[in-house]
Amino acid sequence: MATVRNARRLVGVDVNAARLGLAPGLALADARARIPALVAVDADPGREAKILEKIADFCARYTPLVAFDGADGLMLDVAGVAHLFGGEAGLIGDAETRFSRLGIALRCGLADNPRAASALARYGANPIAPVGLEGKAFAKWFHDMPVAALGLPPDVVADLSRAGLKRIGDLAMRPRAPITARFGSDVFARLDALTGLTRPSISPRFPPPDFVAERRFVSPIAQLQAVEANIAKLADDLVVLLERQMKGARALELSLYRVDGDVRRIHVGASRPLNEARAMARLFAERLGGGREDEIDAGFGVDLMRLSCLLAEPLPPSQSEWERAHDVERAERLADLVDRLSARLGPRRVVRQTLVEAHIPEHAVAAEPAVRAAPRSPATAFVAEAPDRPLRLFEHPEPIETVAEVPDGPPLKFRWRRMLHDVAAIEGPERIAAPWWRNANAPTRDYFRAEDSAGRRYWLYREGLYGRETMRAKWFLHGVFG
Amino acid sequence: MSPRDRAEGMARLRRAIEEIETRSGAAAPRAPARLSLGVALDAALGGGLSCDGLHEIAPAAVADGAAATGFALGLAARRLGVRGATGLVVGEEFAARDLGALYGPGLVAHGLDLDRLVFVRAPDAPSALGAMEEALRSGAPAFVLGEIWRLKVYDLSASRRLLLAARGGATPAFLLLASAYGAADKISSAAETRFEVAAAPSAHSPSTGGGRGLPGRPSFSVRIVKARLSSGQGPPVGLDTARTIRLEWRNEEQTFDDPAFSLPLAAPAGDRLRPARAGY
Repeated sequence: MATVRNARRLVGVDVNAARLGLAPGLALADARARIPALVAVDADPGREAKILEKIADFCARYTPLVAFDGADGLMLDVAGVAHLFGGEAGLIGDAETRFSRLGIALRCGLADNPRAASALARYGANPIAPVGLEGKAFAKWFHDMPVAALGLPPDVVADLSRAGLKRIGDLAMRPRAPITARFGSDVFARLDALTGLTRPSISPRFPPPDFVAERRFVSPIAQLQAVEANIAKLADDLVVLLERQMKGARALELSLYRVDGDVRRIHVGASRPLNEARAMARLFAERLGGGREDEIDAGFGVDLMRLSCLLAEPLPPSQSEWERAHDVERAERLADLVDRLSARLGPRRVVRQTLVEAHIPEHAVAAEPAVRAAPRSPATAFVAEAPDRPLRLFEHPEPIETVAEVPDGPPLKFRWRRMLHDVAAIEGPERIAAPWWRNANAPTRDYFRAEDSAGRRYWLYREGLYGRETMRAKWFLHGVFG
Repeated sequence: MSPRDRAEGMARLRRAIEEIETRSGAAAPRAPARLSLGVALDAALGGGLSCDGLHEIAPAAVADGAAATGFALGLAARRLGVRGATGLVVGEEFAARDLGALYGPGLVAHGLDLDRLVFVRAPDAPSALGAMEEALRSGAPAFVLGEIWRLKVYDLSASRRLLLAARGGATPAFLLLASAYGAADKISSAAETRFEVAAAPSAHSPSTGGGRGLPGRPSFSVRIVKARLSSGQGPPVGLDTARTIRLEWRNEEQTFDDPAFSLPLAAPAGDRLRPARAGY
């Protein structure tokens, strides 16, 4: 139930309630008066959407093209897959059995186009419409349905029924111009979609993968070893598909469909196009065997496994020259190592660093996952005699206390982590200002390279220009030199 | 033919022979190649560092962590100079937080090529050691440099595993024991070599305005705490574990110098990295 038009009303009823004559839209007080034992709960659209998402995941076992149909329906493009389940009736039967086992009642409709399928599911008596309905046969199937079956907004439906247009047949028989003028062009656009004159496309939740290999099990498997063995077989199948087009996989997804309706998806990436089944299986083994949160909870067992290649790239032509072969082999071994470590620790923990043209020191370097980053050609040119940037940089500069001769001069002594350092040699300042086009108010920094009496070298900075930006400049230690 | 051309030519030939031998086995048993670090260190180590062993670096005091890092990265840069491959740097997350994270522009300024380094940030010490072991065993990287903060998990058997992995993959392992300051003599591990590194005052260049000078090149004072020949005999002749050796790192040539002499003590690395620019 939910509050609609200032009254608590029913928004959804289950099979038993429907049998007792309750329907959505009825005020709660009226319903209670009719059925005193009524159990009513508050509607929770957020949770319902989540449940629908889970059901959509579950439906991906039938076809990769699954889209939402309004807030309470799913649209599956089953063109070319029905024969896998013993025809269209078999497909619907299979879905109904599975969902009834999960305690979910299902209304199905299957037709030539999405609009007709949606109408059948919601208002049809018979779920499967024959192919190529036209003329009288079409009228027999659809003309008795209420106009709401067109999926029009409720206020338009109400207006239409006030005008006496209650059934789809009422609309289809009438001249179009006056109705369009009064109720908008949407009405006939939807009617055309229903008859199949126009063909709207569905927008699936996930883009369909390039290559897919899958296995179904008559009796569900629950053991990790069995899952791993089947990953290897799936990888074999996928490699055959990839080889036909001379391609390799850069991103793979393994979906495990559990009997209880849960779907587990595991992604792995590869830094070079992979077309070896063993390498693929090893990447997944890293993820599954890592003893981390990724471990599979097979629950009551897995009855469908699908391995999809989300991103395929053409394989580079193999090098025949002897010398190159060796370099390539070594690079491949490194790439395999990087892939395995990325799969185990996560791609953001295995990175390459690249220099960025920025003055602010913490922005002068970017870390890219090594799985994605390509090694680039070496940068040209210049190394100072003594390094001008520290080996280690603190993520948060650490405040220090300093003693200086004059307020804007270099420090004589400073205290960092409770130790006092006498500055024996110092170079600076190197003035670095924040980019004015981004944040004009950030204080300027004056960097100093300081060496203490024991020979330890530090990178210090003073924040704020003395006298202009601040009267009490703060000092920080930002990094340490080797 | 300039000395550098000759060094490069030799390095190229050595690599070609190494490639042939890895494919079809060595024609005659040879002494394993060793990584030369310069006269002062090589003599004490019996001819350089073995290229299939485990070498530890410990800071001498709490504040010497950066010096130990600089020395270890010097070893890494020399190794990259003789072996054309990518190096792997594995660090425990806590060490990066406490000592600062390795900073790309600083590595370039130290003489390393960022394009030939892959960094791994491990959540804890066991996973850092595990990643190191796997990388060593694969034999793909030019070297594996690790940094461990929590030393409790690094015991004799853990170090043995690393050593065996290094032998198996013929890859050198450098391990920074970040929290072992002052304890370099007490650690027991299977490592072949252990260095204790402290910062040393650099050669200051005079400042134009008088007053204090400008800091110079990275300088270290290194003590070899432990050295074992990889063939399984005892320490090399002439090892003095009490002696500290002063070294200066020349980032352009990738050599360790004795600051008392003006000439480099190590030959420039054969296939040295092209000097890189600091980005802007």
